[in-house]
Amino acid sequence: MGFSTKYFFIPILILVVASCTTDDNAAKDEQKPTIDINYDEGFPQACSQLVRGETYSFKAMVSDNVELASYSLDIHHNFDHHTHDDQDGECSMDTKKTAINPWIFIENYSIEDGLTIYEISIGLTIPNDIDTGDYHCSFSVIDETGWQSRTSVDIKIID
Amino acid sequence: MLGVWLYFSLCSMVFAQDSFQIEGSVVNANTLQPLEGANIIGKGLFSISSSTGTFTIKNVAEGTYSLTISHIGYSSETVTLKVGPKMDTLKIYLRESVTELQDVEVNGKTKKRETQELATVSHTVSKDFLDKNRENSLMQTLKNIPGVSTINIGSGQSKPVIRGLGFNRVVVVQNSIKHEAQQWGNDHGLEIDQYGVETVKIIKGPASLQYGSDAIAGVVDIQTSKLPVKNSLKGEVNLLGETNNDLLGVSAGIQGRKNKWFYRGRLTYRDYGDYKVPTDKINYENYIFELHDNNLRNTAGKEADASLGIGFISGNIKSETNFSNVNAKNGFFANAHGLEVRSSSIDYDSSNRDVDLPYHKVNHFKITNNTSVGIGNHTLHLDLGYQNNHREERSEPVPHGYMPTPPDSKERIFDKNTYTLNIKDSFSPNQRHDVAAGVNLEYQDNNIGGWGFLIPAYNRFTIGAFAYDQFELHPDLHLLGGLRYDYGVLDSKSHYDWYPSTVNNSDGSTSYIYLQRAKNKTLNFGNISGSLGISYIHKNTTYKVNLGKSFRMPLANELASDGVNYHMYRYERGNLDLDPESSYQLDLDIDHTTAAFSFGASPFVNIFENFIYLNPTSNYYETLQIYEYTQSKVFRAGGEIRASTTVLKNLQLDASAEYVYSKQTSGPKKGFTLPFSPPLSGLFSASYQFKDFLFLYEPKVKADYRITAAQNEIVPPEEVTEGYQVLNMSFTAQMNLFKSAKPFDVRVKLNNVLNTHFYDHTSFYRLIDVPEPGRNLSISLTVPF
Repeated sequence: MGFSTKYFFIPILILVVASCTTDDNAAKDEQKPTIDINYDEGFPQACSQLVRGETYSFKAMVSDNVELASYSLDIHHNFDHHTHDDQDGECSMDTKKTAINPWIFIENYSIEDGLTIYEISIGLTIPNDIDTGDYHCSFSVIDETGWQSRTSVDIKIID
Repeated sequence: MLGVWLYFSLCSMVFAQDSFQIEGSVVNANTLQPLEGANIIGKGLFSISSSTGTFTIKNVAEGTYSLTISHIGYSSETVTLKVGPKMDTLKIYLRESVTELQDVEVNGKTKKRETQELATVSHTVSKDFLDKNRENSLMQTLKNIPGVSTINIGSGQSKPVIRGLGFNRVVVVQNSIKHEAQQWGNDHGLEIDQYGVETVKIIKGPASLQYGSDAIAGVVDIQTSKLPVKNSLKGEVNLLGETNNDLLGVSAGIQGRKNKWFYRGRLTYRDYGDYKVPTDKINYENYIFELHDNNLRNTAGKEADASLGIGFISGNIKSETNFSNVNAKNGFFANAHGLEVRSSSIDYDSSNRDVDLPYHKVNHFKITNNTSVGIGNHTLHLDLGYQNNHREERSEPVPHGYMPTPPDSKERIFDKNTYTLNIKDSFSPNQRHDVAAGVNLEYQDNNIGGWGFLIPAYNRFTIGAFAYDQFELHPDLHLLGGLRYDYGVLDSKSHYDWYPSTVNNSDGSTSYIYLQRAKNKTLNFGNISGSLGISYIHKNTTYKVNLGKSFRMPLANELASDGVNYHMYRYERGNLDLDPESSYQLDLDIDHTTAAFSFGASPFVNIFENFIYLNPTSNYYETLQIYEYTQSKVFRAGGEIRASTTVLKNLQLDASAEYVYSKQTSGPKKGFTLPFSPPLSGLFSASYQFKDFLFLYEPKVKADYRITAAQNEIVPPEEVTEGYQVLNMSFTAQMNLFKSAKPFDVRVKLNNVLNTHFYDHTSFYRLIDVPEPGRNLSISLTVPF
């Protein structure tokens, strides 16, 4: 047969070189946004006690290297101790109990275009008719690329 | 005990000016019955004796050749013959002896020459390789093959990945029937008993032409076990113990054949505890999980498998029916299931062997029938299959979002029935063409249950018709081309939440609605696929070029899901407008093999027109990030290189490397790679065979050193994974304690010798920063009878 080994290796060599030199011109965003409640105005702090009927401003600092997109706040009961927060120190928990009318707060928000630093600030009045006890409060943030960061804190709602 | 004499005769005739033909026949001297399935192997020559004991090796150039003739139950013999105008006729007498059994070539199905002539890039794995390299699951064993990797879920489960693609982009075939389970799922593992497997053919590349939808990245084809020898009865018991997860395993197999009827059966049981990782705590985001005794909490499991096959062979008819059942229960890491951090009152550390919540259990039942009938120069193949896959994911009932505490632990139940019918006709109209044409029909009925929702119930019917021809232009130059058309109908069923959600209306009022998660919908798909390739054999070198187009029908979850995946902390939204995924791939393959040295390279380039990708968006749904199924163009390139050499007489060195580059070239994640991209990795092995001593025969020590680079190419929500180096050692030998009995096979394997702490980028547990298993000593004993 008339075709020799070297003709076969040439396309392979080109292929290997081509695949190694295909470079991305646009820099990709490979950084997650940050989220933090550990500053003076951050709220709630770990093991905070919130009183029914009172109004609080839930605050967290978020930042991103490119652009922030949206954030959310989720407050749900932890009467069955199914989860715990990611903050330093352990909070004392009440005994386990069954939920009757637990408070559920689930809300999403978008952040205006072009921001890389933003302070989340959500004013909420704790309803008067909900179950008191252990609650779990989690903030999360997503950047324009789709990277997400979360933080959560154990709190107590009391009378 | 009884010496069986093999009568072997060789004769030859002049075929052409410079090309000759070796013809011969193999018979059992004792019974004078022809011996079927004997391997005749020489340098560049290969044949298997037919049912009449005859064999032919065509187009042999003039020269001196050495041929090795082997057959199960008989000792192999090597003969030297001169091929030329005047050839000697040889007669060889072989004596069966226990100590020579080790020379028997068990791997009779490895039709090396056939594989060389086929333009598709494939790799055949023998029983010998599987026995010597056996890990905790079939796919972990096959991981040593360049280009093959796995996605592992704990120590006992893994799913196949070929050149970086897995899930529904790799087809697993057993006894010619496509294995159908919940392979789209993150925490699903392949439900196949690895002890029943003799030969595996791995196709790296597009193979939709023969295997239909999903064979887009490759195929793991678990081939029908070879026929037992006439009037034989044999079996084996395998015992396995491991230290890392305190595994105890036993598998016993038996097979026999009278004349026309044959049967085989196998029972396997494995039970293992939590596996150990070389760390005492796991840091995941800001959480710290302390581990008790290095045990990865609640990853214990057990598996019980049974299979039975009955077959009949007579004249031109061969038919075999196989029944198999695989049943497994595996625990999931208790502190975080998926990405979700969990607290529990369960005392996980009281025992490392119990399986508490969360866990899954799966039962896969399969009946297959493979029948082939030879009529003239036609062979008609008929494959029938029924499979039931029942899988339960159980976890502690916990309220989530608007969902109150569920009543039980049944989070997700999947029950899928698959009916398969394949009809294929292979015929050779003349010596130069091998033509095959056929149809594949498949019907799936997938049902769901439990309080969680991810994939809707659906029915799916697919039909595909194909034809291909392997054309011999020259004895060393073969062309393979074929076309296929597939048509599919998918019927998804509607699904509503069992609890109401709070919905804020635009007028300021609030309603409580049972949200609809999936709709009743009928979708149709059609697709053309094909393949064209060439194989050229020049002396010791084989060259292959293959261009293929493969496709994959969208899955029900990709089309119709609309629900919260709490384990992954995300909301998954399907897209009814998805097209079938189609992919074009160019493969090259070079293999150069001589007695002392072998080298191979198999590069590829692949373009996806519309890769289905679960894209993490920058929006929320009920405080969970929305992931949407989208389609994007993808460019991939890479390949494998391998080399091996026998430096000294008893020292063999092997080296291989694999690499895949992937890039999305359109869509919302343009410029990013694909999820679970395997990093550049190399494997270096050295094995040395010592002299026999005491009762040990062929004692062999092998060291495998894997060097893997860091994976810096990531896509949300992945994390960069550092590179690692890990050393595995093994010792294998045959033990002949009782002179009259067959020797035992013994294998001692030490994985992760240095107890290295490393992460595998393609492990399911990588997302929660769980390192790979620590040092593991395993001892395996195979007792034949």
